[in-house]
Amino acid sequence: MEEKYKVQVTDLHKSYDGVHEVIKGANLNVLPSEVVCIIGPSGSGKSTFLRCINKLEEFQKGHILVDGADLADPKADINKIRENIGMVFQHFNLFPNMTVLENITLAPVELGKEDKETAIKEAHKYLQMVNMDDKADVKPTTLSGGQQQRVAIARALAMKPDVMLFDEPTSALDPEMVGDVLNVMKKLAQEGMTMIVVTHEMGFAKQVADKVAFFYGGVIKELGTPEDIFDHPQEEETKNFLNKVLNI
Amino acid sequence: MHLKKLRKLLLLPVSLLIAALFLTAPKAQAASKKTYIIGTDQTFKPFEIQDKDGTYNGKNPGIDIEILREIAKHENFKYELKIMSFNADVQALQSGQIDGMIAGMSVTEERKKTIDFSNSYYTDGVCLAVAKDSKITSMKDLKGKTVNVKTGTTSAIYAKSVQKKYGFKLKYYTNSNTSWADVKAGNADACFDDGPSLRYGIANGTGLRIVGKQVSNAPLAFAVKKGKNQELLKMFNDGLAWLKKTGRLKKIVNKYTSKKAVKSQVVADTSIFGLIKDNAGALLQGLWMTIELSIVGILAALVFGLILGIMGIAEHKFWHGVANVIIYIFRGIPMMVLAFFIYIGMPTLLGHKLPLFTAGILTLMLDEGAYIGAIVRGGFESVDVGQWEAARSLGLPYYKALWKVVAPQGFKLMIPSLVNQFIITLKDTSILSAIGVMDLTQTGTTLIAQNFQGFKMWLIIAVMYLIIITLLTWLSNYIQKKMQH
Repeated sequence: MEEKYKVQVTDLHKSYDGVHEVIKGANLNVLPSEVVCIIGPSGSGKSTFLRCINKLEEFQKGHILVDGADLADPKADINKIRENIGMVFQHFNLFPNMTVLENITLAPVELGKEDKETAIKEAHKYLQMVNMDDKADVKPTTLSGGQQQRVAIARALAMKPDVMLFDEPTSALDPEMVGDVLNVMKKLAQEGMTMIVVTHEMGFAKQVADKVAFFYGGVIKELGTPEDIFDHPQEEETKNFLNKVLNI
Repeated sequence: MHLKKLRKLLLLPVSLLIAALFLTAPKAQAASKKTYIIGTDQTFKPFEIQDKDGTYNGKNPGIDIEILREIAKHENFKYELKIMSFNADVQALQSGQIDGMIAGMSVTEERKKTIDFSNSYYTDGVCLAVAKDSKITSMKDLKGKTVNVKTGTTSAIYAKSVQKKYGFKLKYYTNSNTSWADVKAGNADACFDDGPSLRYGIANGTGLRIVGKQVSNAPLAFAVKKGKNQELLKMFNDGLAWLKKTGRLKKIVNKYTSKKAVKSQVVADTSIFGLIKDNAGALLQGLWMTIELSIVGILAALVFGLILGIMGIAEHKFWHGVANVIIYIFRGIPMMVLAFFIYIGMPTLLGHKLPLFTAGILTLMLDEGAYIGAIVRGGFESVDVGQWEAARSLGLPYYKALWKVVAPQGFKLMIPSLVNQFIITLKDTSILSAIGVMDLTQTGTTLIAQNFQGFKMWLIIAVMYLIIITLLTWLSNYIQKKMQH
C-alpha cells in the first residue's frame, strides 16, 4: 500500500561533511491532501529535512518517494520531479529582474507546460487567489514582504504541483503581514493541497495541520494530531520545547 | 544532456576564432614568386630611418633598407618588411616568423651558432656617448654610473664585457632614441651604442657627445636562420657583390655617413600645435589602430571571457578546474611576454606565420579574456543563492536557471568591472607596440625618433589617450543608465 502516500520519507540521513549528521534517520509519511506542520528548535535540522524533499539538499542514505518517484534513484529526472513540488522560501526569492507576472509565467512557459497566453491567464487566476492581481505588472522589489510571499506562493502554484513545501514562510515578515500569508495557506489547505510546512506559528499548526511533527536532534521525535502534540505530548523534549514557545 | 549543449555553445566561438586565425594567415606559396618576410629594426640611424607613418617607403630610409631595396630589384625578388625591436627580430628569425633580417647586425661567433650571415656590407663599432655637459671624459669615469645599452646588440655585448673592469651599472632599452633621451635627461650617465648611429644622431641634435674612440669593430651583415632560406642568402650575396663592383654600395653609405650626410627632416615648428599639425596624419593613423585593436580585442576577449565565466560555474565541477587553470595561466603571464610568445613562439608550433594584427588580437583576447572570465564568474557567483534555489525548485534545469534568472542579474553586477576592464584593454594595446604594432604608442616612438621632441610628443599622445578614454567612460555611463531603466 505504499502508493497511498503522496510523500514518503524513509530512514533519511544527511551530513554536510561526511562526519557529522544533521539528519539521523528521519521518517515521515504524508497522505494526499494532508497538511503536516514541522515544529522544533532552531538548528534541529527541520529546514534541511524539508529541503531534501525536493533535493535542494543532497542526502547520503535513505529514500524519499514523491508520488512514487524515488529521489535517491540516480536515474530519476530531478527537474521533472521538482515540477510537481512547489516550494516557498523564508526570503521569498522572487526574481527581481522580472515583473510579478513574469515571475509566475517563467517556469510554465520555459518548461513547455503552457503557451504564453494561457500562462498569463493562469497567472492572473493565481494572483487573484492570493489577492495580488493589482500588482501584476510591478517589480517585486516595490512590494512589502507579505505581498512578496503571496506572489511567491502564486509562482509555485502556477506549476500546478501536487505537493507544496513551505520553509518558514512567515519568519521574515513583519507581524502585521503574517496573517495575510497564513490565510492564503489556509485556503490552500481547504482546497485539498498536500502541504509540508516548517513553521514557528503554533497557532497555525494547531488550527490547520492534520499532523504535527516535532523535529529534534535530526529525527522526528514525536508525530501526532495537533491535540496529541500540543495537549498530550509524550516526549520530554517536546514538553520542554512547547513550554518555551507557548509560555512567553 | 546539458553538458552536450554547453559544449556546443563553447565550440562555436572557439572554432570561429581558429578559423579566423587560419583564414587571416598568409596563404603560403600561393603567389608564383615568393615574397620574403624581412625583419628590421625600428629607427636605428643611419641604418634604419622610419618615415612619419612608421614605414620605410621614403626617400631616405637608411643604409640597410637602401641596400635591401637595390639588391631585391637587381636579384628580382619581392620582400615585405617587419618592423620590430632588434631583439624581437632576432627571436622572430630563430622561430621562422621572418625569413631574413637586416638591422645593422654585427657578425659574432655567438650568433653564428644559430644564424647564417651574408658577406659584410659595412664595418661598424661601438662608441660611448654622454650628455653634452657631462664631466665624463673616459671610460674610467664610469665607476658607479648608470650606462644605457640596447638589448641584444653588439653594444650590449661589449658593455657587458667591460662592466666589471669599469664598475658601472647597466640599464637596458629596446630603442636607441629612448636610451639617448634618457641620457640627455640625466636619468642615466652615459650610453654605449652603435658608432655611426650615434654620430648621425648627434648631427641631428640629440644633445650628446662621443667620448673616446670607436671600439669593438665588427662587420655588419644580412642574416637568415641557420640552414634556412639559403637561396635568399645567395641572392643577397650576389646582389651585394654587384653593389660593391658598381660602386653603388659606397654611394649609399656615403649618403648617410659623410659630412654632407642627409639630415632628418628639419622640424620647423616645434610648438605643440606645430607638432600636431605636422604629424596629424600619422597620429590619427596610430589612434585608429589603437581603437581598432581595442574594439576587436574587447569583443574577442568578451567572447572568451564569457566562455570562461560559464565554465567557471558550470554544473559539472570538471569545468571549474579547466576555467581556473586557464584564468590562472593568462592572468599570470605578463601581456608583453604573451605577445612575444604568440607572435614569435606560436609560428613554430603552428608551422606557419601569424599576421601581426591577428597576433595582437589573440594576445588581447587571452589576456583580457582571462580577467573578464574572472569578472563574469564573480558576477554570477555574487547573485543570491536563493535565486538559484527558487529557479531550480520550479523545475528549471541548471542552464535554464542560469540563463533566465541568474545571468541577467549577474551581468548587471558585472557592468562596472567590465567597463573598467575595457578601459584597461584600451591602455594595454600600447603593450603590443613591443611586437611592432603601429598603434598610437608605437607611432609616438617613431615620430620622436625623427623630431627628438620627446616631452611634447608624449604629452600630445597622453592627451589623445585621455580623450578617447573619457569618451569611452561617458559612453559606458550612458549605457549603464539606460540599462537601469
